[in-house]
Amino acid sequence: MKPWAIYGITKKLTENFKKTKKDVKSISGVFKSSLHIFPIDVGNDNELNFEMEALASPQYNIHRFGIFFTDSPRHADILLILGKVSENMKEPLAETIAQLPEPFGIIIIEDKNDTKTGAKNLNLPNVVGYFDKKLEAKEILSVLLNVMGREV
Amino acid sequence: MIWIAISVFLIGTFLGFINRKASYITAFLASLLSFIAGFEAKFNGSVYLAKFHFLLSSYVGINIDELSGLFIMIASLSWMAVAIFSIDFGSNYRKRMAIFLNLSMLGMLLILTAYDGITFLTGWEIMTIFSYLLITEHSGAYKESFQFLAFSELSTLALILAFIGLYSSNNSLSLANTGSKSIIFLVFASLAFIIKMGIVPFHTWLKEAHSKAPSNASALLSAPVTLMGVYGLARIISITGYTHIWGVAAVVLGSVSAFWGAMEAAAAKELKVLPAYSTVENNGMILAALGLSSLAYSFSPASTLYEFAFLSAVILSITHTIAKTLLFLSIGQAKEQLHEESIDDMRGIHKSVGKIPALGIVISGLSFSAFPTLIGYVAEWMLLESIFQSYQFHSVLDRVVSSTGGVLLSLAMGFASFSMIKLIGYSALGYNHEKKAKPMPTFFMRTAELFLMILILGFSFFASYIFMGLGYSKFVIGALGVPKGWLLASAKPVFGVISPAFFVIVMLGLFLIPFIVYLSSKKNTKKVISWNGGLNLKEEEYFSANAFSFIIEYILRFIYLTKEVTTNNEAYVVISDVFEKFYVRMVKMSEKAGYNISRFVMNGKVYFYVLYILTVFIMIFIIFGSAST
Amino acid sequence: MRLLGILNKNDTEEFLVENEGKIFIDKSPNNKFDNYELIKNRDKFIGNSEKKGKGVFNFRYGPVSAGVGQAGVFNIKTYGERILSVSIDPSYKKRNIEQLMINKTPKDALRLAESVCGNFAFSHSLAFSRAIENIYGLDTDENTKRIRVIALELERIYNHIYVITRLSKGAAQNVLTSHLEWLFEESLRTNKLFSSERFLKNFNSIGAVNFSNSNNIDTIKERIKILEEKFGELYQHSLKSWNFIDRIYKTASLTSKQAISIGLTGPSLRATGIGDDLRKNEDIYENFKAIIRTTGDALARMEVRAYEILHSCDIILTQLDKLQDETLKHHKKEQKNGAGVGYCESPSGIVAYYVELKNNLVDYVYISTPSVFGYKAFADSFVGYIFTDFSFALDSFGINFADCAR
Repeated sequence: MKPWAIYGITKKLTENFKKTKKDVKSISGVFKSSLHIFPIDVGNDNELNFEMEALASPQYNIHRFGIFFTDSPRHADILLILGKVSENMKEPLAETIAQLPEPFGIIIIEDKNDTKTGAKNLNLPNVVGYFDKKLEAKEILSVLLNVMGREV
Repeated sequence: MIWIAISVFLIGTFLGFINRKASYITAFLASLLSFIAGFEAKFNGSVYLAKFHFLLSSYVGINIDELSGLFIMIASLSWMAVAIFSIDFGSNYRKRMAIFLNLSMLGMLLILTAYDGITFLTGWEIMTIFSYLLITEHSGAYKESFQFLAFSELSTLALILAFIGLYSSNNSLSLANTGSKSIIFLVFASLAFIIKMGIVPFHTWLKEAHSKAPSNASALLSAPVTLMGVYGLARIISITGYTHIWGVAAVVLGSVSAFWGAMEAAAAKELKVLPAYSTVENNGMILAALGLSSLAYSFSPASTLYEFAFLSAVILSITHTIAKTLLFLSIGQAKEQLHEESIDDMRGIHKSVGKIPALGIVISGLSFSAFPTLIGYVAEWMLLESIFQSYQFHSVLDRVVSSTGGVLLSLAMGFASFSMIKLIGYSALGYNHEKKAKPMPTFFMRTAELFLMILILGFSFFASYIFMGLGYSKFVIGALGVPKGWLLASAKPVFGVISPAFFVIVMLGLFLIPFIVYLSSKKNTKKVISWNGGLNLKEEEYFSANAFSFIIEYILRFIYLTKEVTTNNEAYVVISDVFEKFYVRMVKMSEKAGYNISRFVMNGKVYFYVLYILTVFIMIFIIFGSAST
Repeated sequence: MRLLGILNKNDTEEFLVENEGKIFIDKSPNNKFDNYELIKNRDKFIGNSEKKGKGVFNFRYGPVSAGVGQAGVFNIKTYGERILSVSIDPSYKKRNIEQLMINKTPKDALRLAESVCGNFAFSHSLAFSRAIENIYGLDTDENTKRIRVIALELERIYNHIYVITRLSKGAAQNVLTSHLEWLFEESLRTNKLFSSERFLKNFNSIGAVNFSNSNNIDTIKERIKILEEKFGELYQHSLKSWNFIDRIYKTASLTSKQAISIGLTGPSLRATGIGDDLRKNEDIYENFKAIIRTTGDALARMEVRAYEILHSCDIILTQLDKLQDETLKHHKKEQKNGAGVGYCESPSGIVAYYVELKNNLVDYVYISTPSVFGYKAFADSFVGYIFTDFSFALDSFGINFADCAR
């Protein structure tokens, strides 16, 4: 039996990535080579949560661009708001934003057909990107690379 | 001077019938006078002796030599603080508390200045009885105070036997400038004093009594009263000299006691049980240090180790007396103002009660957890250094004893830090409970706490001066860039060194000053609540103190006898002290046995009763007759 | 007999029950159901009776925490380490989809059914459309049935891979996790090749499927074969990693008795030794045999899922071979009013819809989702363990708040 370490290096799983242009603002020049993201589920139907999981897959290998998931908003540069906001999630969302260190950016990805409150209407600070349809993992990666202002 | 002190205590007692504040102030004055008397004896060599002929060839009287002077100084620092504290604190209690306080301090002063066994016993009994009465001042503390009394009388009994032994070997009851090799004296006197110090397995009264007594009484019981035990042991050593096997026993008992006390403290959830167990731990360390000193002496009187170990016992006593008084007083103030018992319910003293009691808990707690720069650190370093130096011992027994003791003591220190972090982190600095403190005059309470805090900090910074003052200038050197007079060494030739004063300077330079500069500089700071999943913590969501210690209760479940009890809608953890269980069982057995014996003996036949008395009489004769020859 | 839902209409209670693979409405059942209270309170809290005591505090996990990853709250009572009781609050995800469906056409309501839970989108869509088809009296043709089977199994594959990935991530098996994540993304891409959507949405419709990718079939076959081989190899390899297996072996064990009393369905039930699977009753599956394990712990649940992945791959390959090129026809026999039940075996258990139509608009809907029972099973099985087991206990059930709260 091969140990995991040897098992792991027998095939290259990472793919070449082609960045596409996305409509986002830049936060600051400091994120060119590193970006820490914290996704928050505010009541989406779990599809976007799964896309975030897919984004962590080796095909995208986001670490090579310096993109990392954080476990706390206190370490995050970008807050990804996934979905429209359910009534009970409004307070936790506000608290999460309050915990973000400066400078930070907020990206909203939601489904326009959803009936709840859109995060766009909540007057959130520093919204750098807004998308009214669900994005796939590769599109989310393009969005992040655009925010960073990074060439691939 | 000493007579004045005694009479001022007596005046204070009488004032207690009229005005309690005046009585407490008088107690403070008497303590101050005692301190001066002690100082004179220790440093100016004004040894005082007044003896009167009593019975047979024995004398009674007052005697202050260097040893008593030292302990009077240590004890009176605690008395002073307790007396000041009581001016405010006592207003919630009855007048007679002032009388008891004065008298129990007087009892202690008599112990410390006793020339002979009779005076010693008198002081011992005065201290015991009035401490007992002090405990009963707390309503509903009868069972606990009775347990205290039972153990105290056990130690009195042992003392009487010890003095019988002393008399039969010396034909005198004198305790000063005397020598004796009486085994009975050594054994029973040691027993009496370790009961008073709360050494395992005689520690159960301590926890019960301390946690129930009013806080000023707890401070008194925990610090100066157990200090009497230490003084007693030191006095024994001065009389019998160092005994090898005594040292072995002391190291074993002391280290086991330190370990047990610290371990139980780590699991304690009641606010006053924790410091009570910490007393068991500290007294264990003192006993171990004395034992080690004894071992070292029998290994080689030429080595500096025995002196260093003895010095570490003294420093440990100083640390314990002052810091424990501070801890009990600070906790006492908070407890009195919040009316809560458990560590959990007392969270956030710094907000609800005040900064000074909180700081008192922090400083004393840090000292007990051997935080570098504080005197507790010096004391525990000294103890460990003494243990490390036991590698020189030739005898295998000594090596095994000292290294095993060392392991237990180090574990004890670790557990002590754990419990102190719990105490500081929850009660003093924890999240605020939003509880309102009961308004009451606190000026004198805060004064007493500040006085003790300044003492701890001062003693820490000037530890080397204490060394020199106690006559151990050989352990104060200058090396490694530290000027002469500021570096403490653990042996001659040098074995290990520390300098608390330099620690303070380094800490200030690396830590505090940059921190203060940072705090005062202009900055763009966001202030938010602590991150808890996006919602503020509710009252029932705070991590409880029980949860903090559950992990060790679970890992050491074989020692704590941890039981996790779950019923329909309730769940809790029960831990127990094996020794306590033992006593409970013993009490039950003796109740049963007492009932049976009394039924057997007191059967109404006179000749049977006379026979019983005769048998007991003969037995006592046989036992002591054979021992004294 | 298993209670799946309680319908509250005009102050009378009717019961949605399952018996031997058939789901129907029973107005006055003879049995008493243990899970009555659970279903009754499913939107308020799911869990077990609260424990109190000295030092017991509420450890709230969520609603924003990387460990939960979804909007929901776990209220865990503990006196340190030991889990005493668990109460789950799904209200953070509540979207009132049943209410939103009312007065919508079946076509619009179908989109809402898909948005109940993105990762069970096809299961919900299928169950809903079957309910409508039952009302309409529509019979779907063989080819549509086959395509639906393929889509359902594709959904099962990526969900099961996701669950095993989470378990492996929880045990810090980084190499295994990376490989599984790779497989996960690959299976999402296969979904897209098959249905044009990564999560199989907008694919199913009433009485038909919008299948337009028949030229991809060979590629899909190839990918499924690779997936089956690769996963089989990885899985066998993972079983030899002791520090992985140790974390899930005997963790959050559930007995078959408990599982039945909760009303649990799906792989978590099959891991306790009960071979219930709705697919057994569908002829299209041909000699379907449910995969079971008997120990009922997190490891057993993972084993069932792993073998189901391989099984699903076989089913897909068989069905793809039998797929015909003919265009799919609608058999319209539309009926404007009526009530119907539709259900299917989602990756985590039975999804069932009870729908009433009035003038071809939805008048009443009741959705029974597997996660409600899954959360209860998690709460019951987690009691007595320690918090370190949380991710293994939770993730092994393959449940989520979107499915639970609707």
